[in-house]
Amino acid sequence: MRKIVSFIFLSLLLGFTGCDSDDGGTTPPEETNFDRAPLLANWADNIIIPAYTDFATSLQTLEQAVTDFNNDPTIDNLNTLRGSWLSSYTIWQRVSMFETGPAETVNLRLNLNIYPADAGLIEDNILAGSYNLDLPSNRVAKGFPALDYLLFGLGADDTSILAKYQNSEGQGHRDYLVAIITDMLLLTNEVKTEWETGYRDTFVSNSGSSATASVDRYVNDFIFYYEKHLRAGKMGIPLGVFSGNVLPENIEAYYNGNVSKQLFLEGLNAVQDFFNGKAYNSNSEGESLKSYLNTLNTVKDGVDLSTIINNQLNEARSRVQNLQSFKLELENNPPTAMLQAYDEVQKVVPLLKVDMVSAMSISIDFVDADGD
Amino acid sequence: MKRIYLLPLAALTLVACSNDDDTVNPEPQPQVVTAPATYNFTRNGESTVSFSGQTTRILMSEEIIDAMKDFDNATETSLFNMFANENNPFEDPDLNASSKSVKSKTAASEDYFSNNATQSTAIKAEFEGWLSDQVNEVFPAVDTEAAPGVAGQIADGSSTRYVNAQGLEYNQAFNKSLIGGLMTDQALNNYLSTAVLDAGSNRDDNDNGVTAEDKAYTTMEHKWDEAYGYLYGTSANKANPNPTIGQDDSFLNKYIGRVEGDDDFAGIAADIFNAFKLGRAAIEAKNYEVRDEQAEIIKEKVSQVIGVRAVYYLQQGKNSLDQTDPDYGPAFHDLSEGYGFIYSLQFTRKPGTTEPYFSRAEVNNFISQLSEGNGFWEVTPATLDAISEAIAERFPFTVDQAKE
Repeated sequence: MRKIVSFIFLSLLLGFTGCDSDDGGTTPPEETNFDRAPLLANWADNIIIPAYTDFATSLQTLEQAVTDFNNDPTIDNLNTLRGSWLSSYTIWQRVSMFETGPAETVNLRLNLNIYPADAGLIEDNILAGSYNLDLPSNRVAKGFPALDYLLFGLGADDTSILAKYQNSEGQGHRDYLVAIITDMLLLTNEVKTEWETGYRDTFVSNSGSSATASVDRYVNDFIFYYEKHLRAGKMGIPLGVFSGNVLPENIEAYYNGNVSKQLFLEGLNAVQDFFNGKAYNSNSEGESLKSYLNTLNTVKDGVDLSTIINNQLNEARSRVQNLQSFKLELENNPPTAMLQAYDEVQKVVPLLKVDMVSAMSISIDFVDADGD
Repeated sequence: MKRIYLLPLAALTLVACSNDDDTVNPEPQPQVVTAPATYNFTRNGESTVSFSGQTTRILMSEEIIDAMKDFDNATETSLFNMFANENNPFEDPDLNASSKSVKSKTAASEDYFSNNATQSTAIKAEFEGWLSDQVNEVFPAVDTEAAPGVAGQIADGSSTRYVNAQGLEYNQAFNKSLIGGLMTDQALNNYLSTAVLDAGSNRDDNDNGVTAEDKAYTTMEHKWDEAYGYLYGTSANKANPNPTIGQDDSFLNKYIGRVEGDDDFAGIAADIFNAFKLGRAAIEAKNYEVRDEQAEIIKEKVSQVIGVRAVYYLQQGKNSLDQTDPDYGPAFHDLSEGYGFIYSLQFTRKPGTTEPYFSRAEVNNFISQLSEGNGFWEVTPATLDAISEAIAERFPFTVDQAKE
């Protein structure tokens, strides 16, 4: 079970080489004052907290769907449960990037979404009947990927999947669904409550510019998310960009099989909306990385950097939209179309990690672990 | 391609003896040792390169470090059997069929241990101690969350690590210590030692092309190859290993690759490989001065790899610990690797001497600083910095150069 996880770290040497060659074109930051406090307030009040709130609500719906299904394991209830899972998993793509502060403390992302899940470990746990989902070793046996396995991967068809939950023999599987959703809700509520009851003010008031200031730290987390989790996790690793081997079982929501692309696109939209300061579930824009760059008047090769970034994100989106499902794309050898789309996703990395941060005088604080 | 020009001793003798000024021939011809492009050497059309015993020990070592994490099946007895190759302990039947073992060559070099069986025995016992402790302390705690003074598991990013009560991963300690205790000690202090290369009639035999019984190689050639095998014995292309350096094992090859990947040390992999090639070519050319110069280069560079990685991991561990919310999991993993590299320092070789860069006593002092009280749970950034500085000071690199 432990071998799966090292890909994420292994992955990261290659992607960086492209980032260094890009200097010269960006104008140096001028002596412009940009007030970072309203930026932080917009992030916290209009994006982050509403996203956590919506996500927590979706998990409550999911919990109810688990209860209903466990009480009456029918195909209709299974499909309702699957629908709640997908809806919640989609909203998760809107909060996954906020692994800072409270989420970082509880390692929310690592607890909710390490994929692929370890099906063998899940079965072992169910068979044993007792398990401690707080143990680090069980992170590959819970969260959305475990539900993906339990709702889609337990059998060849719906009848055989349903059979696992029915009658007294189904008790172990029913209990495990409850344990997973309980764990997800507990961790999520902890993070949400923390934001609502104190961390919000800590975050917004730390509005200076230094390595430990909120903007500097969060911009690092944001770029880290884009590079490692969106670009590498959802596309690069399954594509074999880092390992040399296509790893189709490493797509997100592998057992469902059809939604990996949709989850990626939601994540990409979340990134772009965040860049533009768009309020959660709304089209109104507030202070943002875009407005920050525009205030600094950052221009690259004669074009506003914020425009270049948005254009490249749009290009990446349209390339990915034109793909079939990731599962089908990965059946091509080599998966050329998906690789080409990946290249467009990758092109955003140096724009953020070199051009944007240098304009804002932010240092990148993450380096690659060495893979073992 | 490197060429080394030397005045052959024979020519000098001729000059000294000659009393005829008119002799046309006293001008000595430079004797050239030319390294081939790859590590291929032949005699009468047959390859003279052989290091299968080293390949075997690397593969055995790989199985041992995997088995240390096999919570369901490994026992103290099974791990001891693997270390000593007794009772067919390996998955790979070829390894079981082999007469070699890891244990017999751990802390067993001619230069360091032939007159120090006491220390050799003590070191072997330390390796076995890590095997025992893994089974007796860590295996029972597989489903426990680690805490100060409590063995168990701890998260490191998306990985799970299994540590003792002081935060040490015994499998990392064993793995990284073996880089010193087996690979480095055997290569630097045994096979590249003149005591081994020139043992018995090796020099006469090599001078006269007398090969070992039923072999195509002279004994001296073979000894040199055996040193080579501890670095490149599992390489994808054993004659031209650097294209995959770092990817071919979990031991010395891997970390030469890692140090090569740091811009401050780029070129070190080529330096080591070129020295092996040229030294081997020098043996064919019977030029022992060039041979020994190359051995010195290899000793210096391989020792440096161990020094760099010791400092690197101490600094990585420090970075994870030195924050408001210390990140214990990643820190312990790094410090566990650092622990092994520090242990390995006692097997390094200062060029031009018969001494390691750090004595066993000095190594033990570092280790005890890391292990005091609750060990990694309590070690301070100041201590990690002090040890890093102390290590870097004896090498031609700085802590800053090593740490990224």
